Amino acid sequence: MQTKPNPGFFKRNAPIAGEAEAIENAKNGDPDAFAKLYALHKRRVYTLCLRMLGNVSEAEDMTQEAFLHLFRKLGSFRGESAFSTWLHRLTVNLVLMHLRKKGLQLVSLEETINPSEEDAPKRDFGSRDTMLTGSVDRVTLERAVALLPPGYRMVFVLHDVEGFEHNEIATMLECSTGNSKSQLHKARLKLRELLRQSQALQPLDSASEPISEKGPAGQKVIA
Amino acid sequence: MKDIATANFDKMTTAEFEEYLPELFENGGGSISKDPRFSTFFKANPDCAALVRDLETIAEQAKSLFEPGAGTEPSDAVWSNIASKLKDEPPTKQN
Repeated sequence: MQTKPNPGFFKRNAPIAGEAEAIENAKNGDPDAFAKLYALHKRRVYTLCLRMLGNVSEAEDMTQEAFLHLFRKLGSFRGESAFSTWLHRLTVNLVLMHLRKKGLQLVSLEETINPSEEDAPKRDFGSRDTMLTGSVDRVTLERAVALLPPGYRMVFVLHDVEGFEHNEIATMLECSTGNSKSQLHKARLKLRELLRQSQALQPLDSASEPISEKGPAGQKVIA
Repeated sequence: MKDIATANFDKMTTAEFEEYLPELFENGGGSISKDPRFSTFFKANPDCAALVRDLETIAEQAKSLFEPGAGTEPSDAVWSNIASKLKDEPPTKQN
């Protein structure tokens, strides 16, 4: 039987030059090796935190926590998954724990399940006039992602960006696999709506202008 | 979730099709728009075809977000804090 390839698997498992050696040396207490691991992974870990939290200050705090946690747990890394996959899962779990401590029910998963009428994707197919194909660049998409309701954003980032499987997301978010699939679909529908709105609003000569400088909660939008 | 195996896509309404979409995206390998099983349905429902292509574009483009954009990185203070805390903390070796 042919196994379905998971694009995320390949993305997250790309080998990084010098990583394996740095891991082994850091496990043996070499501070320079740990600094190298930080240098190799800081941007991805920070970006993941920023997307999940939507707030620069909190994202920096959680990046710090993630690497401190990494330092403590590095000895238990046995290479059964790629290091980046392991580190990102560790980071996601820390961020979720942080959000739970803040009293947010799984980053507003409740809100995801029952989003306000304004936040939920509209139940229409739209017209073909403003089809997106070929016209979504990463900056535009990044800004639209920042405008998603938090619960939608979480599932979208974990699945479509980070490449986690629905069963992994279900475990992390303590929801069902079906729920994860359904929320991802709604997130993509909402993104389509946001991207079509941004296209409709943009004059042709300013197509590269941002949707907005700030997200709905005033968070910095990643450019 | 609806059972895709027993579905007749040629005689489906757009609302029914949308109910299948999450599962189709999960199992369709990201190319529903090119799947011959849906060609008749897409011909009859071009708005649905456009929706599917848009969602495929979004899912495909999302992969490019995995690598952070230029200039997206934590401030130097983050590493200073980490380095300062690590000085007081010996590494935990687990074999």
